[in-house]
Amino acid sequence: MPPRPQTDALRGSLDLLILKTLSLEPMHGWGINQRVQQISKGVLEVNQGSLYPALQRLEKDGLVTSDWDTTDNNRRARYYRLTVSGRRALGAELENWRRFVAGLEAVLRVS
Amino acid sequence: MSWFHAVRARLSLLSRRATESRMDDEIRLHIELETERLVREQQLDPIEARRRAFVAFGGVQEHKETLREGRGTAWLGSVQLDLKLGLRMLVKYPGLTLVGGLAMAFGVWFGAVTFQMFGIFSSSELPLPGGDRIVRIMYWNAKTLQDEDPVLYDYQLWSSARSITDFGAYRDASVNLLGAGGSAEPAVAAEVTASAFRIAPERPLLGRVLDASDARAGAPPVVLLGYGVWTRRFEADSTIVGRSVRLGAGFATVVGVMPEGYAFPTSHELWLPLRTDLPGVEPRRGAAISVFGRLAAGTTLAAAQAELASYGRRLAAEHPATHAQLMPRVLPYTQMSVPTGAMMQVKALTFFFVVVLVVVVCSTVALLLFARAAARETEILVRSALGASRRRIVGQLFAEALVLAAVATVGGLAAAQFALTRWGRPYLEVNFGRLPFWYDFDLSPLTIGYGLALAVIGAVVAGVMPARKITRGLGTQLRAGTAGGGVVSFGGVWTAVIVTQVALTVMFPAVVMLVRSESQRISSYDLGFATQEYLGVTLGIQGPPEDSPSPDADSALARRLTSSVEALRRRMEAEPGVAGVTFVDRLPGDYHINRDLEVVSLPDKPGYSVETGRIDPSYFAVLQASVGGRAFTSADLSPGARVVIVDQGFTDLVMAGRNPIGHHVRIGSGQPADSIAAQWPLYQIVGMVRELGMSHLVQRERPAGVYLPFVPGSQGAVNMIVHGRGDPLAIAPRVRELATAVDPALRVEQMIRLDQVATPLLWFLGLWMRVIIGLSAVALLLSLSGIYAVLSYTVARRTREIGVRVALGASARGVITSIFRRPLTQVTLGVLAGIVLIGGAAIALQQTQQFAGLKGRGLTLGEIGLLAGYGVLMLGVCAFACVVPTMRALRVQPTEALRAE
Repeated sequence: MPPRPQTDALRGSLDLLILKTLSLEPMHGWGINQRVQQISKGVLEVNQGSLYPALQRLEKDGLVTSDWDTTDNNRRARYYRLTVSGRRALGAELENWRRFVAGLEAVLRVS
Repeated sequence: MSWFHAVRARLSLLSRRATESRMDDEIRLHIELETERLVREQQLDPIEARRRAFVAFGGVQEHKETLREGRGTAWLGSVQLDLKLGLRMLVKYPGLTLVGGLAMAFGVWFGAVTFQMFGIFSSSELPLPGGDRIVRIMYWNAKTLQDEDPVLYDYQLWSSARSITDFGAYRDASVNLLGAGGSAEPAVAAEVTASAFRIAPERPLLGRVLDASDARAGAPPVVLLGYGVWTRRFEADSTIVGRSVRLGAGFATVVGVMPEGYAFPTSHELWLPLRTDLPGVEPRRGAAISVFGRLAAGTTLAAAQAELASYGRRLAAEHPATHAQLMPRVLPYTQMSVPTGAMMQVKALTFFFVVVLVVVVCSTVALLLFARAAARETEILVRSALGASRRRIVGQLFAEALVLAAVATVGGLAAAQFALTRWGRPYLEVNFGRLPFWYDFDLSPLTIGYGLALAVIGAVVAGVMPARKITRGLGTQLRAGTAGGGVVSFGGVWTAVIVTQVALTVMFPAVVMLVRSESQRISSYDLGFATQEYLGVTLGIQGPPEDSPSPDADSALARRLTSSVEALRRRMEAEPGVAGVTFVDRLPGDYHINRDLEVVSLPDKPGYSVETGRIDPSYFAVLQASVGGRAFTSADLSPGARVVIVDQGFTDLVMAGRNPIGHHVRIGSGQPADSIAAQWPLYQIVGMVRELGMSHLVQRERPAGVYLPFVPGSQGAVNMIVHGRGDPLAIAPRVRELATAVDPALRVEQMIRLDQVATPLLWFLGLWMRVIIGLSAVALLLSLSGIYAVLSYTVARRTREIGVRVALGASARGVITSIFRRPLTQVTLGVLAGIVLIGGAAIALQQTQQFAGLKGRGLTLGEIGLLAGYGVLMLGVCAFACVVPTMRALRVQPTEALRAE
């Protein structure tokens, strides 16, 4: 596999985190950010501002869709949900990620 | 349904306003929820919590920009901005908006009107079901290069063609229809086959349409009425169907009434059955007809053409004498004639001319925009320094021009619609009479598209051209730091534009003068008697509808017309409002029959081409024209009498002022074969009268008139002149009543007060004059504003130079001369070019027959004065444009001018 620049890897991982989080339930932007922190026990912190361009990109690619809804405390929020192709893409991204991690691991082990 | 989501997402993302608001809402909610979390979990003060929430979010504007870019619609934003800027420029520079907009609107107006008019003639849609498959078939004569109508023989032959169904034919007929009021009026009728009502199906308002049984031999005569005839002549009588009405000399039963607007085949208002199964018809014999049909299912126009061509070849082989040159042509129904190469050339040339006109007009607008852009040079340089690419700046200037062009196009198209409705229809009606029902004067989508295309061409010429010029070398200027250093200048192209404008501006008034003098000449044409007291009535008689009229039938018809006309004269003379009645073959002021004449009793036998008129013996008495010698008497009507009366024009032109009475002349028949003067019949001149309108109003040469006596009606259609007591139009309804009472077949075709003969022609000339005045006004406005813009800009740019020159001791006079030299040269060149154009046009006009009489007509003093004044005005504006900035520049202190650096 050819080496990838760090920014690409990061962007790839952000997409993966979003897709994975949305696979659990539909969520608004802030909720996605909270859920990631919660599950990773604060290890992973998504840059809050870059979440929205990523969501927009995924929506444009047809991987997620969004609709206005109300939150538990009756606030109007944009909820994102995974589409069928999003779910398919999540599987492929996971596979890619695992391969990437395995590759990275192998390299680190040698050195 | 992923594609659905994708499409939906893309569409929602494209909606700029919605996505901006969505973005704001989402970010706001995010900050609020994060603030609340920080207050809740870290017990922070709400203000501090909100600050930290913003910090955690990162730069809001930066993220928003990323979102915008992510939508891929950033360019939409810039286009929107450019258009907004363009609109602001319209308001900021109202003078330029007005002048440039008006000029562009004029270009679009002219283009749209021309395009629509051509569209009406060439490729109009037929508003009938399957209208694009309805065709007409006619002959094309390869020898004369003209259309020829088919006859019944062709129709019978072609009807067996397989590629065309619903074959039909019609021919025009003008029939005298007796209405409910008892007076007869001619109606525009079509003798037509029943298939017409399958080609143009329409449910009749009353009764039924014509069917095939109506055209069988021995079938009772029937008629189908149009809505107009029914309402106008029968007061919309709902019981009309089944009633017998008088049609010319016969009767016909009304079988139905068609609804309003129905006018198939072209512009008809009454339909009679046409017999097409006559036995023994012969090639190229009988009355001309028009043939139509529908392309059979699955057949193309080309296939139908091929089949008809095979019929043509067969006929050419069988009848080489008559058909060798004739080829049947299948054309779309709305195409009234076979398109010739010359016609296509005219069309292409006209469209090309319109585009050239738009380009010329827009070049001047470009000049104005260039001056404006040049004045904004510093702003453009700053934008460039801040990173705007050349393409971006050109795009902005193009958008500004496009906004101007768009506003102008809306105005131009609206004006075109107004002109087409108000003048287009009457213009065509004056020229062609009743118009076909498919002529649509509402702007077609194609015309609107053409107008928009012209707008884009205009915007490119007016926006991109100056933008490219002004942005050339921006980088060099930036590096040299010479903003406002005078790099931008008007080049040779602009000089050419100004010279062209001035030349056109000089030329147009000359054309206006020509049309105006023609108009004045026609309106002041003296027919030699009190025309407002006379009514001219054109009379005809409707013959039996036979295909091969025999000479016997013709003479019987002439006899009937003669006796009917005589009876009408007696009835008219008995009317209290009538002072006199007479007859003539051609009304005064109309075209007369031109014949060759030779004065045999003079030694040199002078020959001349004269205008001849046949008149009733009472003619001069009724027109109150005194006759030198003697007037005609009834004895002169006998075939052996051979006497003529001549007019003053004849005396002056042919007799060279000698008394003509008693001289003998030979007059040719007017036929080309009749060329041997010695064989022409001999006449004696017995009287002389003043000139009484022996030529048409548009004919410029003075006519030499010769009158011959005739029995009214013996030569076919005749004009009756009624001298009324009071307004002669008041007796017009009575004329119709009496004509019908005398003979129902007697047709009153036209009634006109003789002083109104020129009215349609004057209207026509007036329309042309308005168009030309409009053209010259636009050209004048454009050239003046162009000159002003360029000069004031140039002088303003040279402020520093002028200051320095004055500081170095140059005299004010020398400075002014150097400034004025170039613009004065341009205007002078333009005026000279205009004069050359006028001269060229005058020579070209003299070559055409229409204006042959112009020969030797010099300009009047007033006209010369007007043209000179015009030139002075232009030079004045040119000077004005220079003076104000020059004075300003001369007042600048040299130290200030140098400090500006």
